[in-house]
Amino acid sequence: MDLSLWFEDVRRMNKRQLFYQGLNFAMIVSSALMIWKGLMVVTGSESPIVVVLSGSMEPAFQRGDLLFLTNKEDPIRVGEIVVFKVEGREIPIVHRVLKIHEKEDGAIKFLTKGDNNSVDDRGLYAPGQLWLERKDVVGRARGFVPYVGMVTILMNDYPKFKYAILAALGLFVLIHRE
Amino acid sequence: MGLQCGQKLLDDAAKKVLTEGYGYVEDFKVTDIRLAICTISCCCALAALIYDYLYPFPVSRPILITCVLSYFALMTVLTIYTTFVEKNYIMFAVQKDEAGVGPDSYWSLHSTLKRYDQYYTLTLAYTDSVTKKEREQSLKKSVAAWFDEDGALLFDILEKDVRELHNGIASEKKDK
Repeated sequence: MDLSLWFEDVRRMNKRQLFYQGLNFAMIVSSALMIWKGLMVVTGSESPIVVVLSGSMEPAFQRGDLLFLTNKEDPIRVGEIVVFKVEGREIPIVHRVLKIHEKEDGAIKFLTKGDNNSVDDRGLYAPGQLWLERKDVVGRARGFVPYVGMVTILMNDYPKFKYAILAALGLFVLIHRE
Repeated sequence: MGLQCGQKLLDDAAKKVLTEGYGYVEDFKVTDIRLAICTISCCCALAALIYDYLYPFPVSRPILITCVLSYFALMTVLTIYTTFVEKNYIMFAVQKDEAGVGPDSYWSLHSTLKRYDQYYTLTLAYTDSVTKKEREQSLKKSVAAWFDEDGALLFDILEKDVRELHNGIASEKKDK
């Protein structure tokens, strides 16, 4: 759309319309946010949807797969795929549970390993950490959609691409009148 | 500039006839209620965001549930409001009683222009101050009637049409 036409459009709007235009943008953002928070509440996981960023779980998961997580109270078992956080690492890791020690009161310590890795994850944990605990778990994988997450990977690898998409979307919403 | 943009131009022009031509005061109540609903729901989302930031997830769960539920409830209210109350009204206006003592009369204007259709329907409705009866008249014309070859709005022709609608209602008023 021509820029001068756009200014013409803005000039024609009154304060209410301008406010509404701003609100419209805010509503799109809030809807996305509330759906995310709603999913958090339902699944019990602080991050109900994650994208697989590495190939360490091949052939189960490829780079770019979208995973749905839940974080319910039922006990974790060997063979399940968990997503966990490690102190000092920003991005959570998706790996399979290899060994579990469980106390009578239900407290657990467990070790994980990527299907495609030749060694277990002790090298990935924080220095000196030998086991993961319940509190480190973000969620357990319950389902996946292949390839959808490729967009996220692209955006991660090429930050400029991300900003271009965000700018284009923002501009579209602001310009598009009602 | 699509047809939808043309509808906006026609709507604005029709509004102008009523406010500037007849001196009616635009009544923003219906719009303001919608804006209020939107604002409150955005506040819900903002509250959830801030609270979740201050007290990370498992702790913030009850507040998140409240915010999420009220947000979607408000969205439902908003949808119902825009489909059943606001509809496709362009504006509501108040006609002050001439003597300044009696109750006011109300005018409302709504329009439709279907996608891929050239016919623009404009309806003017009047609610009498005393009898509370509603009367309405509408016109349906191709949008081409109000634009010249260069795509500029022919305000005079539209004004004439809107005034005709207005007079039609006014004369109907006298017949009774």
